[in-house]
Amino acid sequence: MTDFRESIPKKILDWQATGKDMVYDRKTLFDYMDGGAEVYLAFDFKEAFVRKYQDPAKEEIALDIYDMGSPEEAFGIFSCDRQDPGVGIGQESEYGPGLLRFHQGRYFVSITAAGDEKKAEKAILELGKAVAPLLGPPGARPALLGCLPETGLKKDRTSYFHSAVNLNNRFYLAGDNILNLDARTDCVFAEYEAGGAEAGNLLIIRYPDENRAQAAYRFFNKAYLPPNAAAGAAQAEDRTWTVARVRTNFVAIVFKAPMKDDAERLHSAVRYPRK
Amino acid sequence: MKYTLTRRDLLRGAAAAVLGTAVGFPQESTAPAKKSRVILIRHKDALDENSQFNEKVIQQMLDEAVMKLLDQSDPVAAFRRLVKPEDVVGIKSNVWSYLPTPPEVEKAVKRRLLDAGVKEESIAIDDHTVRTNPIFVKSTALFNVRPLRTHYLAGMSGCIKNYIMFDVSQPDHHPDSCASLGSLFHLSQVKGKTRLNILCVLTPQYYGRGPHNFSRRYVWNYKGLIVGQDVVAVDTIGLRLLMAKRRIELGPAQEIPPVPKHIRLADTKYGIGTSDLTKIELIKLGWPDEILI
Repeated sequence: MTDFRESIPKKILDWQATGKDMVYDRKTLFDYMDGGAEVYLAFDFKEAFVRKYQDPAKEEIALDIYDMGSPEEAFGIFSCDRQDPGVGIGQESEYGPGLLRFHQGRYFVSITAAGDEKKAEKAILELGKAVAPLLGPPGARPALLGCLPETGLKKDRTSYFHSAVNLNNRFYLAGDNILNLDARTDCVFAEYEAGGAEAGNLLIIRYPDENRAQAAYRFFNKAYLPPNAAAGAAQAEDRTWTVARVRTNFVAIVFKAPMKDDAERLHSAVRYPRK
Repeated sequence: MKYTLTRRDLLRGAAAAVLGTAVGFPQESTAPAKKSRVILIRHKDALDENSQFNEKVIQQMLDEAVMKLLDQSDPVAAFRRLVKPEDVVGIKSNVWSYLPTPPEVEKAVKRRLLDAGVKEESIAIDDHTVRTNPIFVKSTALFNVRPLRTHYLAGMSGCIKNYIMFDVSQPDHHPDSCASLGSLFHLSQVKGKTRLNILCVLTPQYYGRGPHNFSRRYVWNYKGLIVGQDVVAVDTIGLRLLMAKRRIELGPAQEIPPVPKHIRLADTKYGIGTSDLTKIELIKLGWPDEILI
């Protein structure tokens, strides 16, 4: 990460870099974050560069640049926490009061205001625009996204991750890791709509091998679906449908489908890779 | 199969299962004496129009809460039930820069400790260095004071999690959604010393975003304190408040923050208090608007 650090502006509008630049690795990230470190460590996070800026009134903004190891991982951490409109910075971005997030190449960037968000907004966006071009060319998105059916897909509500902590922050499933997710599993979680209405959520998990996929599928059925559920399908208490399927080393689960047929249609449209 | 709270449990309306067995709170008048008493006190002037804490009002809130908690009519007499003049007292605060323990609450506790006869030199306020702070090392009493907020791993940061700095390694408590946090109360530096837990819900945070799990837009001026001697009961009420706010702001599907299992385990595995709402006597004092629970 050292090659571009010196190029990051030390002054942006009337905000001046303050204190010592800091770098955190997988062992020291806990020193910087309380509660968030595990979310990054669940990806292939390498290191984080942190610089603080202050304005004359001592208001502070923090620039965090995370080397996520690959463009796919950078997309992943960006995609798990997306709620605000894009602002055209980096490959994909979003800005809401006091928080700019974007990814570029193998880097994920967040710029946050500690105090008055309105006052910091212009500096945050200018800093983002200055940093993005320093991070190299755009990178590829995870190939697993290619499995998702296109029709009705809400692209800005699509997440890529590996672990249960990310799934539960995105879509609370269970208190325990009932799908046996870990660093070796790749997951996409996507939301669908049809005619302006919610049409269900699709979770696709790629396991390292077929045995793990089969075991996870069986455990999910036992832990999540009612005992009398037939063939991995059940109507949930909110009357929507949950339908799970296993195929080779993939498990796919549709949640919140209005009708069972909707879930089956979504399943049949999944584009599994050829062996 | 091992119990796990699933999304389907939430859809069934069994959210209280994460805490204990009950769905509703018992009424004050019907509460048996053995229940863990928890005071929720609120005051509309606890923060001014610029969201600055009002020290005088916060002192008054703390006094009323502790008096009611201990059935005393005088705040100093109430604190004398909690400490003796010869006690060495650590006030375990929280310095997280985005949402620290308000100094006004720390001062209110310290003032009453002094009034109760504890010597100034026998009182310390600390967070990150409690393991080596000389007062905390030789402490005979602890006061546990921190704000309520959501947490990526633990689901909720409350008074149970506030003691994580008493352990040598904080990351050791991160696996399995911080399930082992209740064990902190069995550490030798801590065991049996906690006299009061104050969960600051003056400006709680109901949802987290960004690298530090903080965004000011998810903080609201609730203007309250949750006070009790049973740390699990205090956090249980705190979680109910977070859930109520999340239900309103984020919808029923996001009512529960991710996996707040450590609260129930603090009860069922570590035995340091109760998470069962039928065993908690919640007494609500003060400003009732938008109380949520």
